[in-house]
Amino acid sequence: MALNPMEQFTIKPLIAEPLFALAGHPIFFTNQALLMIIVVVASSLFLTLAVKPGRLVPTRGQSMAEMSYEFVANMIHTATGEDGLKFFPFVFTLFIFVLCSNFFGMIPGSFTVTSQIAVTLALACMVMLIVIVTGVAKHGWRFIMLFIPKAPIYILPLLFLIEVISFCSRPISLSVRLFANMLAGHTMLAVFGGFVVALGSAGGALSLLSVAPMMLIVGILLLELLVAFLQAYVFAILTCIYINEALHLHDHH
Amino acid sequence: MAEAPATTETTEVPAGHEAAGFPPFKTETFPSQLFWLAITFGFLFTVLWRAAGPKINAAITNRRNAINGAIAEAAKARAEAEAAQAGYETALAQARKRGNALAEETRQTLNAEIAKAKADADAQASAAMAAAEARIAGTRETAKAHVKTAARDAAIAIVERLTGDKVSAEDATAALGN
Repeated sequence: MALNPMEQFTIKPLIAEPLFALAGHPIFFTNQALLMIIVVVASSLFLTLAVKPGRLVPTRGQSMAEMSYEFVANMIHTATGEDGLKFFPFVFTLFIFVLCSNFFGMIPGSFTVTSQIAVTLALACMVMLIVIVTGVAKHGWRFIMLFIPKAPIYILPLLFLIEVISFCSRPISLSVRLFANMLAGHTMLAVFGGFVVALGSAGGALSLLSVAPMMLIVGILLLELLVAFLQAYVFAILTCIYINEALHLHDHH
Repeated sequence: MAEAPATTETTEVPAGHEAAGFPPFKTETFPSQLFWLAITFGFLFTVLWRAAGPKINAAITNRRNAINGAIAEAAKARAEAEAAQAGYETALAQARKRGNALAEETRQTLNAEIAKAKADADAQASAAMAAAEARIAGTRETAKAHVKTAARDAAIAIVERLTGDKVSAEDATAALGN
């Protein structure tokens, strides 16, 4: 019985030997790798097989697939306009990956891929890389205008500094938000689960008290399902907003 | 305390992996995490970009086209129905007009025939009346003549009886005068 609530975030190799070494680092097949594979295979199969283009009246599965597609498409369209739609495959992948990782992590005994800062930070850095490449490709040196808001000249150096710091802190805030939400929720579930076990095994009247944390777990579980969706949405919409800034600089404001 | 050997065993095998510390911050797991992230994210991206995305898009577009097509078809059918209705009403109005004209024409023809028949009948009647009047006048004249003849004969007979003279018819007539 794992009573340490942090135990669930431990990455364990499922095969003791490293598969190979990449630039001197051993690569293991871990529980996290297994979950990532399950997540992408399951979502790929679902989004591909549930949909038949000729089916005018969608099945439940096709409805879900179409809904997620249109949800992301509308998100991009409202946040960036028509020219942001070329980023659709990336944002859609990001949204589905985070959403399914969060939901698969809710299955008892599985592993939450997005509760790892390495994963969320890598995703956030990928977003920032795309933003910078897009901005520079579209505007060239004028991309620097992103850091220069319309303001009196004497305040500009300070504002420039603030804008640069805020831009650089974006990948941190983007990744830590997702990571911390997942980590906190799952830790809380494990802690209350520990209470249930501790109270239940205490015997006597205390055993009856274990019902209280049990009911709390049910509530938190529902909340966590909401958070799982919400964090995927937040990640995707912030990506859209950053891409919009790279595409249009401050023109929209 | 039976668990104690098991715990020490797990801490020994991964050699430091299980050591105290915050699991997500264990940097030695990062290469594996990033490697598998790259593989799986790349796979999902490829599938969604090349297969699932176009397929879902096709399904949505197909449905939108089908709905728009059906709406257009319905609008067309409606326009056709309205045109047919208008045509029917025009035809009805024309038929009614023609019917009215025909009725009017018939009425006038009939009126003319009636007037003609009436005029004919009037003419016949007045002719018959004139003939009857002429006959009446003839009869009256004949009767008058008969009365005069009778009076003359009577006068001749009276004179003959009283005087014994035979009065001629001309004298008697002249004596009677009127």
